[in-house]
Amino acid sequence: MASVLIAGGRVLDPASGLDRAADVAVKDGKIAAIGPGLARPGVDRVINAEGCLVTPGLIDPHVHLREPGQEHKETIASGARAAVAGGFTTVCCMPNTSPALDTPELVRFVLGRGEQSAARVFPVAAISKQRRGNELAEISLMARAGAVGFSDDGDCVASAGLMARALAVVKPTGLAIMQHAQDPTLTKGASMHAGEIALKLGLGGWPRVAEEVIVERDIRLNRGIGCRYHVQHISSGETVAILRRARAEGQPVSGEASPHHLLLTHEACIGADGLGYNTMAKVNPPVRETSDMKALREGIADGTITVLATDHAPHTDSEKALPFEEAPFGLVGLETALALYIEALVSSGVIGWMKLVQLMTVGPAKLCGLDRMGLGRLEVGGPGDVTVIDPEVKWTIGQKDLVGASNNTPFLGRKVKGRAIATVVGGEVKWEGGR
Amino acid sequence: MSPTAAALATSRSLLGLQNMARAEIAGLLSRARAGEPERSLAGRLMANLFFEDSTRTMTSFSVAAKRLGMQTINLRGAASSVSKGETLVDTALNVEAMGVDALVVRARQSGAAVGIARAVKCAVINAGDGRHEHPTQGLLDAYTLAESHGRLEDFDLAGLTVAIVGDIASSRVARSNIAGLGALGANVVCVGPPGLAPASLKSLGCEVSADLDGLLPVIDAVMVLRMQFERHDEEGGEKKPEGDRRSAMIASVRDYRELYAMTPARAERMKKGAVVMHPGPMNRGLEIDAEVADGPRSVILRQVTNGARVRMAVLGWCLGRDG
Repeated sequence: MASVLIAGGRVLDPASGLDRAADVAVKDGKIAAIGPGLARPGVDRVINAEGCLVTPGLIDPHVHLREPGQEHKETIASGARAAVAGGFTTVCCMPNTSPALDTPELVRFVLGRGEQSAARVFPVAAISKQRRGNELAEISLMARAGAVGFSDDGDCVASAGLMARALAVVKPTGLAIMQHAQDPTLTKGASMHAGEIALKLGLGGWPRVAEEVIVERDIRLNRGIGCRYHVQHISSGETVAILRRARAEGQPVSGEASPHHLLLTHEACIGADGLGYNTMAKVNPPVRETSDMKALREGIADGTITVLATDHAPHTDSEKALPFEEAPFGLVGLETALALYIEALVSSGVIGWMKLVQLMTVGPAKLCGLDRMGLGRLEVGGPGDVTVIDPEVKWTIGQKDLVGASNNTPFLGRKVKGRAIATVVGGEVKWEGGR
Repeated sequence: MSPTAAALATSRSLLGLQNMARAEIAGLLSRARAGEPERSLAGRLMANLFFEDSTRTMTSFSVAAKRLGMQTINLRGAASSVSKGETLVDTALNVEAMGVDALVVRARQSGAAVGIARAVKCAVINAGDGRHEHPTQGLLDAYTLAESHGRLEDFDLAGLTVAIVGDIASSRVARSNIAGLGALGANVVCVGPPGLAPASLKSLGCEVSADLDGLLPVIDAVMVLRMQFERHDEEGGEKKPEGDRRSAMIASVRDYRELYAMTPARAERMKKGAVVMHPGPMNRGLEIDAEVADGPRSVILRQVTNGARVRMAVLGWCLGRDG
């Protein structure tokens, strides 16, 4: 296996607190050395990282790779290409495939496909059989097979009874339950944030409380159980406050924020021509108001939110061309997330670089138990997963930058700063470019 | 320049009243009052593209077009390729490609007309899209209100209070009226049970009340809306058979009528000169009683008469050269 030297960058490793100018040498799939002026002779490939940040491989714990069943939107291979183009070395894919990832055989299928792809791919398995919310799936077997978490994502575990059983059954696996918090009785017919714009456009409104009541309920259900519980793609500012209180009580709960919830409001659904019904900004849960954006950013700054996740959700152009209420929810995020997080969190002064890297490495690694494999940190002898980020390069998000199978994002045309210029996975350079 | 190319150069669309300025709305109404010259759009082609049932609106557009000398074609949802899985936009593009100057679109999806207008080059007139807008209804309602209160001169509706009663949440007519009547200066109050007239409607610039009886003596017009049981499906769960009058939004018809039905007793309590309107089709005996619909305060048929006049003006505005 080739050896790679990443030379002349600023190495940031939140796990150890390392922040210094140094080279990183990768050999035989592992980190071989970290230090200034490492020897170049015998190195197969040198990546010039001057002016760049050198970080542990970024991890996205929430993506939709559509395989099996909807390969016209994305495959594990194409999603992994999008991942490495965005600086991610590891992604965790959600189980809302067709069929749903609800058996150990399907968990192994995804792991096998992942091994042939550009990034590390780990499946989050379904909580309930066929994600129907009626009976538990084979949780213990799927954990043994390599699932890194449990979720019915796309749908909420709406039944309190089922959620109570799920929390009890998942607890001994050590893995987390990741809840898509959405009370379905409050969101029937809803397609965007319940507010002035939904009213004007005659679209069913999606209230914040649909998320909040589920999170409150689950935290209460979990009090006597103590399973690790994680709130996916938080959209309501009040949900951040609920999490903050629970964490202060010592509950094992966490939450994630997505780029669109940190940067967009429901005004994004109006579209550039002012006429409304911009399906590119239709997402579940919906983008809301400035106060929610602000609360999410505060939750990141004060450590309530410990994970950043894209909720990468590919859909075809023709699906997104449908009338707003019929178009599917979601946007792609892997290729654009890093620049968008930088805009929302670092350029705006909410947090510094070390914290950003932590939210994209240590946080998701811990959530999915990937820290046990040494992922999410730079450590001699550990996995050779490294991301090189040019924090200053300016670019405009265009179709050509979207290397996955789908192009659905409301951020097309946005001018951004900062990009992964090299992505090394298991000691191999899987992406180089971007400047 | 070929007639079609000329049409493209001058055509514009009417998608809703929410984004229109007062002067633009008043201008359209003045155009209707002046009367569009007969046969002024001779040789032009209007297509009614109705993906959702309608009799009154479609016929009214046809009458307006024929008076302007236009040729008309009618496509209805079930007869179109939409039933074979074709998208609304594809159907519209195909009809446009046949040389149509104006597409009059009715669909059950909010935003359908906007989506079509983004895709085609010809004029698009929104004849009702889901719960979004029904701008020609809003215009004919404003015209009728101005007519009944002597405001045809300048369409300034300041000082008039209009109560829109009933199923506001499901209503595109309500949205166009809140925008249109509001822009012209009228005070609009939405009245109904909280499920149908939620307090959040205030963000549209109207007032919200649950007290119809308290309002009756002070309002200048009441606009009674049809109870749209068919649009309550999403709230109620299972798709209901046609004609099913159950709804998650109201407890029962009699419970609703107790507070909100336009009964003869309520009509009597309105002040002198106050009028009763309804966009149709009516559920007689539900939201409005026959004695009121056919009674002295009713301007319901004036609405229909003015509808053709207003739609002639809209077609002229969309396709004419004198702006």
